[in-house]
Amino acid sequence: MSVSLLAARGLDYRYPGGITALRDLHLTVRQGRKLAILGANGSGKTTLLLHLNGTLRPARGEIRLDDHPAAYDRRSLDRWRCRVGLVLQEPDDQIFAATVEQDVSFGPLNLGLSEREVRERVASALRALHIADLAARATHSLSFGQKKRVAIAGVLAMRPELLVLDEPTAGLDGQGVAHLLEALQHLHEAGATLVFSTHDVELAYAWADDIALFHEGTVLGQGEALAVLRDREMMRKARLAPPLLLEVVEALDGARGDSPPRARAEVLDLLRKRLKGAPLAS
Amino acid sequence: MRAIDRHAWTNRWRDWHPAEKLLPAFGLLLMALLLPPLTTAPLIVVVAGSALVWGAGVPARALLVFVAPPAAFLLLGAPFLALSLDLSAGPTLRFSPGGVALALSSTLRALAALSCLALVALTTPVADWASLLRRAGVPAGIIELLLLMYRLVFSFAERALTGQRAQAARLGYSRFGRGLRSFGLLAGNLFQRGLTKARALEIGLTARGYRGELPVLRAARPLCRSRLATAMLGVGLTGLAGGWLGRALS
Repeated sequence: MSVSLLAARGLDYRYPGGITALRDLHLTVRQGRKLAILGANGSGKTTLLLHLNGTLRPARGEIRLDDHPAAYDRRSLDRWRCRVGLVLQEPDDQIFAATVEQDVSFGPLNLGLSEREVRERVASALRALHIADLAARATHSLSFGQKKRVAIAGVLAMRPELLVLDEPTAGLDGQGVAHLLEALQHLHEAGATLVFSTHDVELAYAWADDIALFHEGTVLGQGEALAVLRDREMMRKARLAPPLLLEVVEALDGARGDSPPRARAEVLDLLRKRLKGAPLAS
Repeated sequence: MRAIDRHAWTNRWRDWHPAEKLLPAFGLLLMALLLPPLTTAPLIVVVAGSALVWGAGVPARALLVFVAPPAAFLLLGAPFLALSLDLSAGPTLRFSPGGVALALSSTLRALAALSCLALVALTTPVADWASLLRRAGVPAGIIELLLLMYRLVFSFAERALTGQRAQAARLGYSRFGRGLRSFGLLAGNLFQRGLTKARALEIGLTARGYRGELPVLRAARPLCRSRLATAMLGVGLTGLAGGWLGRALS
């Protein structure tokens, strides 16, 4: 069992106006894992993510960092945000500078690093997201997918231990999603812990190590991705259909294997093999 | 505005140190103001225009589009400068010789100054001259505000355009009265949206360590002394030529 980097214990939060956003929410982020917060749109996932870097403060319950309750004074919040980087869903909510390079330099400069170090970090963050060629471009001239990567690079350049992404694939086309996931996978392999919110069960199945099933302001259950997605009862409660790929694999094998194929190509291979053995008509 | 911005970001001189463009333009502006305009001003228009088109590779069309609206305004206003009102024998309105000279010289001066402005606006993006302003000692707060406005103007314009199109698609502008109403609704909506977006931007920046300042890296662009010297030499020659022509003609 890996170490818990960050945990939410019994969070309650109401919006000004009295609408309950989170209630008795528990969540554990384990070091070195990719955790999907999976739930329908409008269920309060963004509100939860804003708690994970201390932007919002729960009415009840607490966030724990390395198993210590998080504090909300200026200095603790600064340290917290160095460790936990948050990427918002809408890149325009985050990009403010005129050029890509300038925007990405904002976070590292706030860390008080030397100019040389900042330049080095900006360059490596842009490389990690395959956008080194955009460095001198005007931010307002970028496409949505490019802006999304710039927003992530801006947080990445601060080298957080935990990267929290709100609906990272929303609004991207198929190729955009593939590129982004590839870049995030590299980061993950380099040691970053990732938390991302999504309503896309296919994405959660293909890519997450762990899943927290989110419904109406609370986490119904959290565990290894496969176990959560196979818990039909809990999935129904969250109003989510199981991923198609998983259903196909289970229809083919009927089995409850420990590691069913997760990639599209693998599932298609499996399907082809089976079809050769037994014609469709049977 | 978008076209100006696009050329500022993509012209051939984009990567030059901003001082290499601002100082010569400022030099030309000084000449336009100080030297006799009848000969100097047309010369400055020609020099700035050719520098832009052949030097920086800005299409002549873009230059015309930039210069046309203010130039039209100037030309329309010029005749009125030449008129004088005589009240001694009942009110009479006539062109006076002094007036014509005044109108000609101020129009020429204004056109020359306008081409100096084009020389800066079409070659130097806002981000660049902001870094020069910073070095010139303008307070950081003002520059940050300037840059933030520059950045947000584009998202605002985009929002406004999309909103207007969506309204038009539902016949919001099919009649004058409806158009007024739609415009009012759009303005109200944009205002509210502006507030929400401002809050979102604050959250986004806070997550990256925002503490009330917006520090960013300055582009590392070495000042090329020989290029600057050449440009300033050109400016000086333009001034000399203007002055000499002026004397020769008078």
